[in-house]
Amino acid sequence: MPDVLLSARRVARRFGQRVVLEPLDLDLAGGEVVALGGPNGAGKSTLLAILAGALAPSGGEVAAAEPRRVGWMPQQPALYRRLTARENLLLFARLAGLDDPDAAVARALEAVGLVREERRAAELSVGNVQRVNLAIGLLGDPLVLLLDEPTASLDVAHRRRLWQLLDELRAAGGAVLFATHNLEEARRSADRLLVLQEGRVTYTGPPGAYREDVE
Amino acid sequence: MNRVALLLRKDVRTLGRMPALAVALVAYPLVIALVVGLVVRYAGERPRVALVDEQGALSGLLVVGEKRFDVEQRLEQATEVNLVRMSQAQAERDLETGRVVAALVVPPDFITKLRGLRESPTLVLRTSRGGLGTRVVEKMRSLVYSTNLELQQSYIDANLAAVRLLLRGGSGTIGRTPFTLLGLQRARAQLRVLEGSPDPAVAARARQLDTFMGQLQGAVGQVGSFLRATANPIELRQEEQGGRTWLLSAQVQGYALALAVAFVTVLLGAGALVAEREENVLGRLARGLVGLGQLVVEKVTFVALVGTAMGLVLAVVFGIIVELGDVSGGEPWLRLPLLLVGLVLAAAAFGAFGVMIGALAREAATASVVAFLVALPLMLLALVPAGSIAAAEWIGALFPFGHAQAALSAALYDEQPAGTLLREGAWLVGLGLAYGAAARVAARRMLG
Repeated sequence: MPDVLLSARRVARRFGQRVVLEPLDLDLAGGEVVALGGPNGAGKSTLLAILAGALAPSGGEVAAAEPRRVGWMPQQPALYRRLTARENLLLFARLAGLDDPDAAVARALEAVGLVREERRAAELSVGNVQRVNLAIGLLGDPLVLLLDEPTASLDVAHRRRLWQLLDELRAAGGAVLFATHNLEEARRSADRLLVLQEGRVTYTGPPGAYREDVE
Repeated sequence: MNRVALLLRKDVRTLGRMPALAVALVAYPLVIALVVGLVVRYAGERPRVALVDEQGALSGLLVVGEKRFDVEQRLEQATEVNLVRMSQAQAERDLETGRVVAALVVPPDFITKLRGLRESPTLVLRTSRGGLGTRVVEKMRSLVYSTNLELQQSYIDANLAAVRLLLRGGSGTIGRTPFTLLGLQRARAQLRVLEGSPDPAVAARARQLDTFMGQLQGAVGQVGSFLRATANPIELRQEEQGGRTWLLSAQVQGYALALAVAFVTVLLGAGALVAEREENVLGRLARGLVGLGQLVVEKVTFVALVGTAMGLVLAVVFGIIVELGDVSGGEPWLRLPLLLVGLVLAAAAFGAFGVMIGALAREAATASVVAFLVALPLMLLALVPAGSIAAAEWIGALFPFGHAQAALSAALYDEQPAGTLLREGAWLVGLGLAYGAAARVAARRMLG
């Protein structure tokens, strides 16, 4: 049985009186790609943010085998628009205390194909901003990648490149959890599908066995 | 490089890439200096007063002794008010519309009465109902007082000339009639000749008369002093100190510096933390990269840095004006290190206040508006004179403005600035820490 790289136990979140995520358990094992489905407002982004450590849960616990090697790409680009892609990556690499920030930045930019991009983020297209957003998540050689609708703004070529990247991570023993509205994408790339509705897990299992019309 | 320094460098770099904001930050202190200058000019501006003299009663010279006194010219050159000659109808219209704040009406017999010296001529001052009414009455009283004083001096001089004639003798005129006086001095000289008379009775009477004349001469000699003393029981003498103009006074510079630093740092502080939220990076930073406390410290440090730099620019501008104007009474360059201490403390305290507002508002536009709306009345509260309204004083004391103004003024020109700087500096540090702690608590909500 592969090692569990990230686990959540009874993780829940409420904003004031509003329950966004009911207590749920989740394990991400090495070599596993899990798709997170569900309609808008189901709690997918909240779950990913909690697993990434960006948002404190109202209850429950999250544990990572290697907390410093958990990469996160939020749905909304989380970067400084007046800095270039390289400057953004370098800042976050240094803030993360990476041993060789320059090398880490070079690898991340290479992975998303933005090595030669010198413009500020504010001047980039939506798709390219999303690639910078992904690149920041790739800093620190992540073992677990948490991606919130990673393909939403990408063209076909860059989607292909992303899946290739995720396959490489899976092959290297890493784990991926990605949120998506695209069931075909989940069926094609994920080993497991987890569907959320109104903060509750309504389905967990192979993507191919999931019937959307039942939901 | 630690995390606070990394974010600080990022913020400085970002500021450099916002040319409009960078230009505004450089231009702001200069605009403040200009506005202060304009306010000073307005404060010193003479109220516009209509001069109604339809009969030309002011024209004609008043001759007092050897002096010729032009009342009309004296009024026109008045420094207290700006007298504008106009008709009665025009004056009434302008008074109604507020183009003049008062009208000074000259009666037709003005100069005649002044020459006659049997009855004082009366000037009539009609004022508007506006807030400047009291001020213009004071100004006109001052003008009439100073004109009376000049006339009085002329009359005293004329009287003294007559007294001198009585003492020394000589020729003069009463109206157009010439006369010649022997004078007390010459009379005594003739009596002394008589004192040598061989007739003992004549000599004795001459000595008696000489003694009396001597006493009379002494008494008349004092007339000048008595006249001046009774005319002005209390005299005010103005001496030019040769110091700074009001524009360059410590108070104005202190206020200008505190005002400029306060506005920039409170608004910048309010926007600084919110900007991180609007860039959507708070989540990333919260993943163990930067703690909320560190983030608040970084934002306050950044704002303090910008505020201090801007304050120094303003201080240097004032210093250059002082140097160019060759104004004595201050050492702008020698006091820069002390001023730097005051600026850093003030900018940090204001910055912490602004960051707290930003953390509470959570959104950029709201943060800016709230920061402005809250800061402005709090700044004005600090201007309420000490001891007038206790509540205003206490509320004002809880905002850094009054303390900043006092610290900066002391740093600039107090002979012994250490005490004030320490006291106000302690207030600023205390307030900065309190606002910073409140900002840290409020910032937690921004992550939700």
